[in-house]
Amino acid sequence: MLSFGAYLFGLWSRYLIYVGLLFQALYMTSRGIELGRLPLVGAHDTVTFLSLSIVTFSIPFRVLLKGSSGFHAGTVILCLLLTAFSLFSRPYNMPLPPVLRTFWFEVHVVMAFLSYALFALSAILGYVYLKEGDALLDGMQYRAVLVGYCLFTLSIIFGGIWAYLAWGTYWLWTPKELWTSILWLFYGFYLHARLRQWWTGRPMAILSITGFAIVMFTYLGVSLLMKSSHSF
Amino acid sequence: MSLFKEITRGFYSLKTALWLLILLLLLFIAGAVFMPLNTEYTFMSSMPLFQWLRGQPIRIAWWIWGSIGILSLLAINTILCSVESLARKGRARGWLLLIAPQIIHIGFLLVLFAHLLDAAQGFKYLSVVRPGTILQIDDDSLLRIRDIDINIDASGYIRDWRVSVEYISDSRTTGDDVLRPNRPLVRDGLNVSVKDLRAFPHKAVLLQISREPGALWALGGGVLIMAGIIILILFKIRIEK
Repeated sequence: MLSFGAYLFGLWSRYLIYVGLLFQALYMTSRGIELGRLPLVGAHDTVTFLSLSIVTFSIPFRVLLKGSSGFHAGTVILCLLLTAFSLFSRPYNMPLPPVLRTFWFEVHVVMAFLSYALFALSAILGYVYLKEGDALLDGMQYRAVLVGYCLFTLSIIFGGIWAYLAWGTYWLWTPKELWTSILWLFYGFYLHARLRQWWTGRPMAILSITGFAIVMFTYLGVSLLMKSSHSF
Repeated sequence: MSLFKEITRGFYSLKTALWLLILLLLLFIAGAVFMPLNTEYTFMSSMPLFQWLRGQPIRIAWWIWGSIGILSLLAINTILCSVESLARKGRARGWLLLIAPQIIHIGFLLVLFAHLLDAAQGFKYLSVVRPGTILQIDDDSLLRIRDIDINIDASGYIRDWRVSVEYISDSRTTGDDVLRPNRPLVRDGLNVSVKDLRAFPHKAVLLQISREPGALWALGGGVLIMAGIIILILFKIRIEK
């Protein structure tokens, strides 16, 4: 609630976004201590972690953009929406099933959400590019996607190792895995398309925004609408 | 002849790769929408892919066959583009930056090969077992479930479990082992793992015996993809700046 307020007022005073970040970091730490594990199960915790990661990763971009109001507003509005969603989601406080109590699961989830945060920032940068057309933003989008793609690939590898140890198979044909493949292929397309002149500029920005829409559907849409191997 | 040349030239092109990726994405999206609407997909993960595909009508499996076709074309395109890129820029400076995408491509091909291997030569067998159940795991070995221990807390949550087993060969016990969460039995390429447990009315376990010959190839492919991306991050971002 406090972080929601900080982000809301952060629309007018930009330093309050860091106050929101601090509140969310303290909240996640306190939940971790209370639960005795990484608090990354269920929509409430994962959305909070996603919002926290977006603000954290936005810091170097803020420095490079020297206080772009469009980028600031985009980041704050997205974090506000995510924080509001987490407020309405019930926290998962039950003991973890034994199969989730492993390093492989934790690192799989952490990497996935860090990559989602970078894809989110790339979409915000894409939106600002469409408004302002600054070439610097195009390069920043690419960097965010490339590092995000690396973390996302790591998440898939760790998820595969964990699934092999937990269920004897590194790949399951469920909607979540299929959407994960779609996301990986989509950003693979993004990285290849950038090598062709026709796609540079506005098309790249539109691809960044589309990519984040696929991220959100893979994360929330599939979990809420379809039966899958993942609860979130 | 000129048509053949045209097609061959097309396979060396990044433009072709982009079109193939678009087609593949469309097929996957169609499949992802189609999958939850059809009960036939429920058993898709309980057997190797080609075994499942053999039993499915085309109205169910069309997007998977289409995807396999596109992936085959993409694999050819990846190999040709990589070879062409190395031949064209072989003497350029910055060889690490030159080979990084090719390392990613080799990793991608290894992952495809792994899935193909598992789809064609994999094996999965599911069985509900109780203490005393005996399963055949290879030509001359049996697996006997000795005990199932499920630790349930006061609220009814499973906190831990262990399944003790023993290996039997020529009517003699030749060894024993314990299955725990995230600790399957791996023996001669076979993976024995617990898919589900039940404590009431009798202790029972849904056991899976599987062989995935592509697992190590997939891991190797994943590691190569990671290595290539890390090199790209280290060098390409500096150039982009």
